[in-house]
Amino acid sequence: MYVGVDVGGTYTDAVLVENGRVRATAKVPTGKDLLEPILKAMDIILKDVDKKNIKRVVFSTTMITNLIAEKKYDRVALLLIPGPGLSHKYYELGTDAHILSGSIDYRGREIVPLKRSEIESALADLAAKGYKKVGVVGKFSPRNNSHERQVATIISEKYPYWQVETGSRIGSRLNFPRRAVTAYLTCATRERYSYFVESVRQALKKREIKADVFILKADGGTLPLKSSEEMPVETIFSGPAASTLGVQALTPPGETAVVVDIGGTTTDLALILSGKPLLSAKGARVEGQLTQVRTLAVKSIPVGGDSLLKCTGAGLTICPERMGPAYCLGGPAPTPTDALRALGMTELGDLEKAREAMTLLGKDAGMNGSDVAGKVINLVVEKIANEIDRMFLEWEQEPAYRVWEVLQKQKVRPSVVVGVGGGAPGFIAGVAEKLGCRPVIPSYAPVANAIGAAVAKPTMQVSLRADTEQGYYIIQEEGIKEKIDRRSFNEQTALDVARDMLVRKALKYGLEVAPEEIEVTHQEVFNMFRDWTTKGKLIEVIVQTARGIMCSIRTGGN
Amino acid sequence: MQYKDGRELKMKRVSNKQTGLIFFPAFDWAISPTHPEREERLLYTRDQIFEEGIMDLPQIIEFAPKLATVHDVARVHFCVPRVKDQTTEAHLIAAGAAILLAEQIVAGNILNGFALVRPPGHHAMRVVHGNRGFCNINNEAIMIEKLRSRYGINRIAVVDTDVHHGDGTQDIFWHDPDVLFISFHQDGRTLYPGTGFTYELGGPKAFARTINIPLPPGTTDESLMYVVDNLIVPVLKDFKPDFIVNSAGQDNHYTDPLGSMRITAQGYARLTEKLKPDIAVLEGGYAIETALPYVNMAIILALAGLDYSEVREPDYWPGRFKESPERKAQVQRLVEELLKYWEMRDKASPDPKSVNGRFYQRKRRIFYDTDYIEEIQFESLKLCDDCPGYLSIDSTANHGYGRTGKVLCLSVPFKACSVCRAEAAETYERSKKDRDYQYVYLQDKAADTFLGYEVSTGQEWFSNG
Repeated sequence: MYVGVDVGGTYTDAVLVENGRVRATAKVPTGKDLLEPILKAMDIILKDVDKKNIKRVVFSTTMITNLIAEKKYDRVALLLIPGPGLSHKYYELGTDAHILSGSIDYRGREIVPLKRSEIESALADLAAKGYKKVGVVGKFSPRNNSHERQVATIISEKYPYWQVETGSRIGSRLNFPRRAVTAYLTCATRERYSYFVESVRQALKKREIKADVFILKADGGTLPLKSSEEMPVETIFSGPAASTLGVQALTPPGETAVVVDIGGTTTDLALILSGKPLLSAKGARVEGQLTQVRTLAVKSIPVGGDSLLKCTGAGLTICPERMGPAYCLGGPAPTPTDALRALGMTELGDLEKAREAMTLLGKDAGMNGSDVAGKVINLVVEKIANEIDRMFLEWEQEPAYRVWEVLQKQKVRPSVVVGVGGGAPGFIAGVAEKLGCRPVIPSYAPVANAIGAAVAKPTMQVSLRADTEQGYYIIQEEGIKEKIDRRSFNEQTALDVARDMLVRKALKYGLEVAPEEIEVTHQEVFNMFRDWTTKGKLIEVIVQTARGIMCSIRTGGN
Repeated sequence: MQYKDGRELKMKRVSNKQTGLIFFPAFDWAISPTHPEREERLLYTRDQIFEEGIMDLPQIIEFAPKLATVHDVARVHFCVPRVKDQTTEAHLIAAGAAILLAEQIVAGNILNGFALVRPPGHHAMRVVHGNRGFCNINNEAIMIEKLRSRYGINRIAVVDTDVHHGDGTQDIFWHDPDVLFISFHQDGRTLYPGTGFTYELGGPKAFARTINIPLPPGTTDESLMYVVDNLIVPVLKDFKPDFIVNSAGQDNHYTDPLGSMRITAQGYARLTEKLKPDIAVLEGGYAIETALPYVNMAIILALAGLDYSEVREPDYWPGRFKESPERKAQVQRLVEELLKYWEMRDKASPDPKSVNGRFYQRKRRIFYDTDYIEEIQFESLKLCDDCPGYLSIDSTANHGYGRTGKVLCLSVPFKACSVCRAEAAETYERSKKDRDYQYVYLQDKAADTFLGYEVSTGQEWFSNG
């Protein structure tokens, strides 16, 4: 039995999944205290259940997202070692940042050493300003983190109580500014996140649940609760990832589908291409800044059931703001929800009030109430359909660096439009028709997020980079640097080492991974020739446990 | 400027527009494993620009490449026997990337662009029997002719900043009065392809529309800036091009293994800043570790109007290279000489020895260094009073092993008069029966059509834009 809990801003949802069927669902309001609704929701779904049968519990949460949005964290300073390149004035980090001398090149070679006196005076300045949290990030640190480590060592000597995050622990992908932002956010959120993790642990203990506990990541994978503390930022945006996985579980495997989650203020879109949720080419954007957090490609558009409707000289428009609930539910102004109610497409709210709202709106436009209602629905449908089209176009425009990648980029269009969220029933049919697709509103749509969490697969990753000319390999996330035999080390050895490392890493978190289930997500080998002879190879492999869902949800016959 | 249908074409120059980038390193394509033009070539450039986060800057927008069509290639080249025999998908993607960016620029969607692509193209000439100087098809020329045929852009300037003479581009636009081709390069007496001297000035209808600046080995940033300030920029100003293309070869760098020049990343950035090209298309540059990551970065930043002053090679310090007084004087004399030719443009008449009746004729030998092909061309241009005249090229290629091929290529320019068009078509029909040729081709740029004919089988093929 799997338990999924989605701690959203408004509701906390929970589901219990057993043998591909949903056995119980719960939806309780989220309050200021996160634990109380979690306990309440769990109590509902776990009534009459032997807790020993629960295999795992997965949480998705907006906790970190909210923390960051509300800036509820201590100040963090940055120590940067960018070396030559882009002028530093383009970094917009929004905090005190000291630029240190020193530089490492793309192959991890030290070009300019650090200056100790400079580091010490930077630290003295930060101490005087009251900082106790510092991110240390060097350019090309995934290729050689010695500078970052040296700085961290000096900090621990002089200010042993400071919290320090180094960029090389954040991720192996190259992007110095994103790494700086991610290190900053990691530093900022770790303490609060640990508190959250501790509370979750206590709650589960109280209810005597001994199953493995995981947290959903933005890319739809899960992290064991314990290791999530190292990477709190990875949990940002796990909400949309949860709903996408939920839809994946609720639709037939292998389909190309658009997930349309129509809420009150916004509509969230995600793509499932041939049964796999599409990952964003760029990292997650947090407060306008790109991070190194891998995320599903999700897009939020400011149209929802409660969007404000206006009639101006140019005609009927949907405004991005929400004034309150729909008019038919006692709100101040006409909304798309009123249009749905007026046309009898929902049962929600007062019919007379809805008609009144449409008549009011129609008066300015010189139309009768039902005509206006129809037009409103069309407008919403058109906006959503256009954005979906644009999302596919953007996906086609994503860069490709190899011949085969360019050639295989065919035009893909969805076959189904899957609606979840409150506004889905009224609008999905129209959106699907516009796109020439089949509309689907799956059962359990209201708790799709929690289902997504329940079925998400645990994922772990190891990335190895070997430079046989220089005679070593590194595994950045683990902080490992090993000497290798220049002649015998090859692509296969690299894969074997990475797979072995992944199996051991997983075991450390209580996950048993069969070597044949390991996916190779990135594999690159370059021969290095200097003066017409082979000087060595650059080998880069990334392996991970399979991403995806544990099972599909059978909805028929329920 | 106007579209073909008469609509006004406006090229907005709004400073808040982005610089478009297509990065296509073709990590799965190489001439051969040890060849300088191999998979590894843009690897460190990728590492550098990705690590710098260049693609995330608001001033930059990245596009995915697309393939150029066979007709896009046939509009420029006579590929023998056919386009598919001389191109791989990688070639079509590199040319297609240049086209895509250029179209975005013409549409006013982006400010300018840089196609950081492999394989390169500037040694590919009008007739293609194989690979010359790592090139099969000419990315810039294919892009330019697409712009002219589809968007009605007329005057174009190409500034070739590769250390090797851009002989392919020169050949393609040799007779074209509306395309100004300027190339600076290491003196042809000391470097492949051994051409690009000051006396190569273009055909009789396009005198001084070709300007070659052969620089002495060891030239530094200082002399290069002198050339840019005193020759290239003033000539561009006079010519008033609608579109400026930079064939951005990066092998003038002081660490390049093939060239012997001393240009730095800072020098390349200043050069770019002064040329203000609409589009830069990558050409050569084989110091893949010591130059490309830094030079490419510098060019991108300069195009986007970003501060490039902190881009620096690991072994460079300001003032490392000093120009010698002799070289300085030599470069100044060169500039004077070329400015004189520029003043004489439109006034020179063709050498009478080259004129045969109503045709201007020349005989050429072209060597394909990569594929070891020797080509002999008889080129003949109709001297027409009403248009630039149609061109016919009788080309024989010796591939070695006794394999030779003789083809006839007829090219009708965009602004051809009806008489020249008819005459070229007539020649094509007549030559189809000539057993001397294996293939006969008719490229009509005015109609945007291409015809090919295999004499032995009587098979004909056709494409149009």
